[in-house]
Amino acid sequence: MSDLRSPGQDYFQSKWWKRKDVKQVIVLWIVITAVIGYFSSQFQFWAMGKPASETMENVINIIITFTWASSPVAGFVAAIAIQALFQRGHYGDNPPPEAEHNISSSPRATATFLIISALLCLFALVVGLIELQKDDQALLDKNAIHINVTGQQWAWNYDYPGSAGVRSNVLHLPVDQPVVFHVTSKDVKHSFWVVQMGVKIDANPGYVTQTVVTPNKIGSFDIRCAELCGLLHAYMQNKVIVESRSDYEKWLGSQPDTGHTTWTAEGEIG
Amino acid sequence: MTTFATKKEKKALIERLNIFTAFALGAIAAIIVWRLSLALLPADSESAPLFTREDKITLLSMIAWFIGFMTGIGALIAPFRWVQGKDLSHEENMFYAGKDMGIKRYFRYTTDHKVVGIQYLVITMVIFGIGGILAMLIRTNLGKAGGGWIHPQAYNSIVGTHGIIMIVGTIIMVTGPFGNYIMPIMIGARDMAFPRLNALSFWLIVAAAIPLIWAQFIGGISTGWSAYNPLAGQSPLGMDGYIMFICIFALSTMVAGANITTTVVRMRARGMTWNRTPIFIYGVVASVALALPAFPVFFLSQVMSGMDRALGTSFYNTALGGSGWLYENLFWIMGHPEVYVILIPAVAALMEMAPVFTRRPLFSFNVAVMGIAGICGLSVLVWAHHMYMSGWAPLLSAPFMLTTELISIPTGMLFLVLIGTLWRGRLWMTVPTLSIFALLWNFMIGGITGIYLSDVPADAFLHGSMFVTAHFHYTLMGGGLTGAIAALVYWFPKMTGKMINKRLSWIAFWLTQIGFNVAFMGMFFVGLQGQPRRVEAYAEIFSKGNLITTIGAYTIMIGMLILLYSVIDSWRNGQAAPMNPWHAKTLEWTVANPVPLENFEVLPVVTSDPYGYGRSK
Repeated sequence: MSDLRSPGQDYFQSKWWKRKDVKQVIVLWIVITAVIGYFSSQFQFWAMGKPASETMENVINIIITFTWASSPVAGFVAAIAIQALFQRGHYGDNPPPEAEHNISSSPRATATFLIISALLCLFALVVGLIELQKDDQALLDKNAIHINVTGQQWAWNYDYPGSAGVRSNVLHLPVDQPVVFHVTSKDVKHSFWVVQMGVKIDANPGYVTQTVVTPNKIGSFDIRCAELCGLLHAYMQNKVIVESRSDYEKWLGSQPDTGHTTWTAEGEIG
Repeated sequence: MTTFATKKEKKALIERLNIFTAFALGAIAAIIVWRLSLALLPADSESAPLFTREDKITLLSMIAWFIGFMTGIGALIAPFRWVQGKDLSHEENMFYAGKDMGIKRYFRYTTDHKVVGIQYLVITMVIFGIGGILAMLIRTNLGKAGGGWIHPQAYNSIVGTHGIIMIVGTIIMVTGPFGNYIMPIMIGARDMAFPRLNALSFWLIVAAAIPLIWAQFIGGISTGWSAYNPLAGQSPLGMDGYIMFICIFALSTMVAGANITTTVVRMRARGMTWNRTPIFIYGVVASVALALPAFPVFFLSQVMSGMDRALGTSFYNTALGGSGWLYENLFWIMGHPEVYVILIPAVAALMEMAPVFTRRPLFSFNVAVMGIAGICGLSVLVWAHHMYMSGWAPLLSAPFMLTTELISIPTGMLFLVLIGTLWRGRLWMTVPTLSIFALLWNFMIGGITGIYLSDVPADAFLHGSMFVTAHFHYTLMGGGLTGAIAALVYWFPKMTGKMINKRLSWIAFWLTQIGFNVAFMGMFFVGLQGQPRRVEAYAEIFSKGNLITTIGAYTIMIGMLILLYSVIDSWRNGQAAPMNPWHAKTLEWTVANPVPLENFEVLPVVTSDPYGYGRSK
């Protein structure tokens, strides 16, 4: 009977978990998973800094979640690689003796690997879909204020449709208030990126695109162009100032009417 | 030199054509057409919405260059004979194959697949050399915060040229040298299915190089390698050079793709069933088969871009009724399969080496094939993940997120095959062996960061940042180039008849791998901090990460220079290689060094699978 089985099945039908190399891999796997997960997530927290909106908090959460979800996979690959690397190195111009087995497949290992990776994939998808759904619903928020964003080589301009023709090139926003941006461009493609709030949308000439965010911290944050837009792309950046409701109203009132009232609140070009 | 020449007393036309006549004829044709179009083309009318005269002149001159060059190299001789109702004589065919021609055959339209393979190897190294110099200029400019010392226009052009030239270099780096030199021997064939098309695909790349160089002097490629419209529409004349370059290169890829696919399907040795076909062959075929649908789209996208510029059409010009989103779609329908065109053959090359250096069978050959096939199938369905933030179709974000994340499953299969082969093997520590570990490390990081990017909400933060740049360098350079260098070390003895210098290639390996990880970890960091891509100046907070990246880049440069020296030195003075230095079981190691013109005197018959290592108990 045993002749009919592939050596791989034999290998798995013995008490494979008692093998020395298997135990080494399991220990390495646990240690490496913890190390990779911890250091990668610390690296990411450190780099991304303090979020200035709930959207950005979610972005950080997703990235950290994915890091922890994928570190067992990375840990497993690393454990096997390290175990192999430090077990039997052979240097020289002639090959080492052939391995003492000729296992060429293992349906069980393959199936396990596939099922786990499919589950992880499904998990990543669901995490993404839930957050995507939240973002989509936020666009329909009735309480949101609307701001029209126009990119041009190489500056951003902001129109505040609720006000009497106010236009600025430094964005002002009230804190804890949903804002819908209606973004377009006058010349080439730009990408409107409010860095610390974790939102981005391309500014396309001839079209208006939307994105939404609720800033939840008072302070000054960065807006950068994230799509190569020609000569001074690197300099197409400015600040967004998030202030209290009253400061925002005061600022809006103090601005002159520049006559830029051609946009409706829905962001269509009138 | 040949008996053929003395027989006819006078040198035949076919013998006179070489790289010099090609360049001369190309240049003459370009100059004539340039002068003619300058004199004859009407001026743009004052009221025209676009000014197109200069673009017409540039494109016409470049087309003339292309036709002149291809005529001058001799690509048209055989088709011309065919139109006359004749075919090449046996002697002419032998001349074309480069029989007894010495070094000269590398500079003419030679059909021998081994000559084409070496030509591809050299041009790949030249491309990486130039692309590497441009990369060093970029990193030097980004060494400190604030603007660098390169003018923004020049800087943007360097970034665009570095991008496109490296993409081209990585596309041809495995299927070019090894797909041409090794693949036919590996499947037990005497040459490719269409040897003249093989020569054509190589010389098309040389023809394409000139418009790219030309472009540098007429405004550069200041749009990044993706050349998005409408930015490309308003760019200087250099853009026309880009368009011509892509069109000719896409032709080359299509020709090579048809040729390699046919060769593998039709010309495998007797007994080489699909189960006994080495995995590297699958990788090469998958790569070119994926390029076959992708590159016509690339070609078309650039033809349309050229028409917008030169003929005043409005495919992409929003002001005249077109759409930049159309360009983005066409570009990425090519662009995403294209990254797997690069990656699959490199990974397959490492899977080919894994059994040799672990002295055991490839783990789960069928899973490896399924993984490659799965990646190919899914990769044509994921293109719009490059456009999540474009606003083109927000409702399609979720389906594209699904297909993109699904790709991690067949990619995981490739990992499984590699770690499965390492497991319980007897490791023979060589540069290719270590490259397998390097690939696992780099491609794991590249792959996992790809999952962050595939997630729409996370991409809202990461898109267009340095994080993306670091991610695709980890996959294409850390994965792809690592595999290609391992392939070079592995097949160097067969291709050159010499062993590569062991010590130097070890040093080069460690320097490039360490430098690579330092450089692109720094880039991940500044990406997460919020530095956009393709900027020539950045804020103070990014200076630490950028400095680290620049230091890493210089380390890579030193490693690459050592590798280059090691390759050149070993090629010239290395110790002669035995026929089968790695004691491998595939067919390319059964032919003598140097490989005879027709590879096999008697075509081999395959009776066993190529990975029969290991002792059965």
